[in-house]
Amino acid sequence: MSWSEESLQRADDILARYPEKRSAVMPLLYVAMREDGYLTDDGMRQVAELTGVTPAQVQSTASFYNMYKREPVGKYLVSMCTSISCFLMGADDVLHAIEDEAGIPAGEADDEIGVEHAECIGACGGAPACLVNYELIEGLTPDKAKELVAWLRSAKPDVINADEMQALFGGKTSFDWGIREERGAVGPFPAFGPFGTADVNTDALEPGRST
Amino acid sequence: MVTITIDGTEVQVPAGELLIKAAEDSGTYIPRFCWHRRMNPVGMCRMCLVEVEGPRGIMLTPSCTMPVNDGMVVHTKSPTVEKAQEGVLEFLLLNHPLDCPVCDKGGECPLQDQTLSHGPGESRMVEEKRHYEKPIPISDLVLLDRERCILCARCVRFSEEISGDPLIEFMDRGNAAEVNTFPDEPFASYFSGNTVQICPVGALTASAYRFRARPWDLREVASVNPLTTTGDGVTVQASQNEVLRFLGVDNDATNHGWLDDRSRFGFEWIASPDRLATPLAKSGDGHTEVSWGEALGAAAENLSAVIEAHGPGAVAAIGGARGTNEDAYALASFMRSSVGSPNLDARLDDGLGTHLLSSLAGKGEIGDLETARTVLVWAADLKEEHPVLYLRVRRAAQELGATLITVHPTATGLADRATHTVTYRPGEGHDLLDRLRAGSGDLADVRAALDEGPVVAIVGRTGLAEDPALAEAVTAFARDLPQASVLPVVRRANTYGAIDMGVAPDLLPGRVAAGGDAGHTGWEKADTSVGLDTRGILEAAADGRVKALLLVGADPLRDVPDADLAARALDAVDVVISIDCFLTDSTAKADIVLPALGFTEKEGTVTNLEGRVMKVNRIVSGPGQARADWSIIDDLAARMGRPLGFESAEAISLAIAEHAPAYGGITWFLLDWKERDGVVAPRDGVEQPLQYIPTTSLRAVGSGGAKRGGFALHLGRLLYDDAVLTRQGASIADLAPGAYAVLNPTDADRIGANGHVEVDGHRLPLRRDASLAEGTVAVPFNQPDGPPLGGSSHVDVAPGAGA
Repeated sequence: MSWSEESLQRADDILARYPEKRSAVMPLLYVAMREDGYLTDDGMRQVAELTGVTPAQVQSTASFYNMYKREPVGKYLVSMCTSISCFLMGADDVLHAIEDEAGIPAGEADDEIGVEHAECIGACGGAPACLVNYELIEGLTPDKAKELVAWLRSAKPDVINADEMQALFGGKTSFDWGIREERGAVGPFPAFGPFGTADVNTDALEPGRST
Repeated sequence: MVTITIDGTEVQVPAGELLIKAAEDSGTYIPRFCWHRRMNPVGMCRMCLVEVEGPRGIMLTPSCTMPVNDGMVVHTKSPTVEKAQEGVLEFLLLNHPLDCPVCDKGGECPLQDQTLSHGPGESRMVEEKRHYEKPIPISDLVLLDRERCILCARCVRFSEEISGDPLIEFMDRGNAAEVNTFPDEPFASYFSGNTVQICPVGALTASAYRFRARPWDLREVASVNPLTTTGDGVTVQASQNEVLRFLGVDNDATNHGWLDDRSRFGFEWIASPDRLATPLAKSGDGHTEVSWGEALGAAAENLSAVIEAHGPGAVAAIGGARGTNEDAYALASFMRSSVGSPNLDARLDDGLGTHLLSSLAGKGEIGDLETARTVLVWAADLKEEHPVLYLRVRRAAQELGATLITVHPTATGLADRATHTVTYRPGEGHDLLDRLRAGSGDLADVRAALDEGPVVAIVGRTGLAEDPALAEAVTAFARDLPQASVLPVVRRANTYGAIDMGVAPDLLPGRVAAGGDAGHTGWEKADTSVGLDTRGILEAAADGRVKALLLVGADPLRDVPDADLAARALDAVDVVISIDCFLTDSTAKADIVLPALGFTEKEGTVTNLEGRVMKVNRIVSGPGQARADWSIIDDLAARMGRPLGFESAEAISLAIAEHAPAYGGITWFLLDWKERDGVVAPRDGVEQPLQYIPTTSLRAVGSGGAKRGGFALHLGRLLYDDAVLTRQGASIADLAPGAYAVLNPTDADRIGANGHVEVDGHRLPLRRDASLAEGTVAVPFNQPDGPPLGGSSHVDVAPGAGA
């Protein structure tokens, strides 16, 4: 067992939700990513041990889905949508701005930031849009995107939250987002209780506030 | 049955059957890659597309996932189907490297064959194909070429559905999809060779066969796996007088086409340079080569002298289970009739009572597992000792929904599919049986499951340190369960045949009890009394009561659990004559060594654990001057002035069919031409003399052994051990893990053991297994450099120094 006590506790909580242990493989893979920052062989082995399947079966599942990152993607994964609506609204320029500012071509990462193309992220009404650690920002411009990357590099937020980023860097939204989400993602995996989330500093949600 | 129309012809097929199988069974072969009749359908390769007429018109449908319906109209050769097949093949060949000239599968490749029969003939693909490193080893025995793979998932499904060790899986997806293993976890399955056989392309190849032959240069013969007691159907393939490959044959009654890797790759001993090719006579510390005349003359003279000086009872024979039934019948005839001694035994102190094995043979069949509601396995770990039976039990539990109960000192290879895993400390089996019979305490659920018939009970010794009388008691219990079939299991290949042929102290050929009124009509005069079993023979030899020992394919120093007793016996006797394929530890002590033909070098019959008699066939000649056991024995008898008059193995088989009651009417002609899957003896209408009589207080047949220390000893076998035929096969010789000791973690902590332990003074690496009963130490039997512990039931365990 190489996992922290906290991750093992999370694993227990997740396993308890399923009648078949192997059904927990996919959520546990996010716990493995949270533990190591990406999906390592050790992480997959740990998931296999917890669910009673073989490591080969875990890897088979993990390698099928592209949100399970088997290479380091940094602390903040910026996924720029380049599907049709965003493409028409200038996603390529936004992506180039992100690449320029981060100094990283799409598909690669440094210790802090990873940049990637993404297929449609379901925010066509607010195109062009991108995700940071699967938290959404809509109505981006190349300049705002550069600010976003600069903010990630300088502020090094522990928690990534869509409302906060939308307030700081976003433009037109596809619809009214409604109630503010007060928790956010703590790594390059979706913000979902069992994988780990953290409270957002609500002060940061005031529009126009910059660091 | 329902009626469907295939290509304009009406056929009757079983309702609910998959269309591809119904069509094949009624004479229409639909091409396929992924579908396999022993595995669940997945519809992955799309090669089996056919047109099925339905309410919405005629639709292309994969026939491997479509069950038949009454009135279904199917077209398998229409222009649309042919176009679809061409399209599928063009896609499958997009990335296929077409390196057929250097591919082992070339010439027997379904992809090649179906491209010829159904393919487009040319490709429109002009782009660069996918490239991978090729081939990569994925285990000690199997290599993977991902470029050739067409992603049919046969290997993946086999490892998950059939063998239960899913170590090979699809990785990635789309154009990058590939079959592979986890980075540091090889495809170390006991059954990995089956995936090589069922791979429809050359993606999986076996290191033992790679580049050894082209398929069209191979001759082949149908036979039976010589290394297990399940009677697995095999095809033996040879080229230039050398056996090169074993393939599993889909025998419905036994192996369903599967083989374990030891059986599949373990044929290499046949061509081992260490095979004995010339008779040897002892000279000084070693042996010198002599002629057959000299060797047989000396052997006959020695045996005659012992008989004259000490009486025929001073001659004893051990072994005979490695040969055919014909060899065994010759041996029994020689011992009981020519020599006049009842002291012979095919078991090497590792078996069960002969009456149990013989009287139940033919009563239960492996096929009963297909309809079993409850399966009880109170025997050795089937995965290690009876691998094909393990697959059949796994299938019963996993695919057919039977309740599986295993009773063993530890969790077995079936643990992941067992409904109830009952463990006990060796020596406490009788108490456990009493509690199980009463259904008391935590065994109430188990008892209730056993009341749900039909029940199949697989009964044997869980380990070599266990009292064989326990298996008799378990059998007596299991026989009374509802609709019970009991399969008593021992491991050594043709033990059942040898015992049925009378190579047993208390049986005459054809399952007749010795010591009774019934004699044997094939012999004019014979000693038909009850003689000594292997342990009795070795004790008598050590005491000086047995003076001459005939070893027939037996290596008591390694195979008898009490190696110390075997050593004292071999040292004490005056004469040791050995008929063997190799110079083993025991054979090396023989005065005369007579080289024997082995499996694939002779014709004959063998009998499996059900009592099924099956034909084995010859495809290569033996080394040098080696001869068949029966012929050696016949010649020896003649030189002693007590001829048996056997002229050929087939002549012996006719004598068996005539004189051995339970084998009445079972001839080579029947097995060669009518019953290719074998015949369970006795045949219908033939009476078997020996009837099962439940015994609960039987004299211990095996060691039982001395109680020397505080830990109960569990001495089980592993698939790969240090037995001579395993050691002589280059591919599998190094797969034995070596000796180790297993303790329950509680015990290990209690005695403060870490890293190593001393078991009766032998230092062994320690493994921990929480499923092992407390107060027990488990040590695998006959591993390279393993400790001789077989003489005891209890041993001392101390923490190893310098952990």
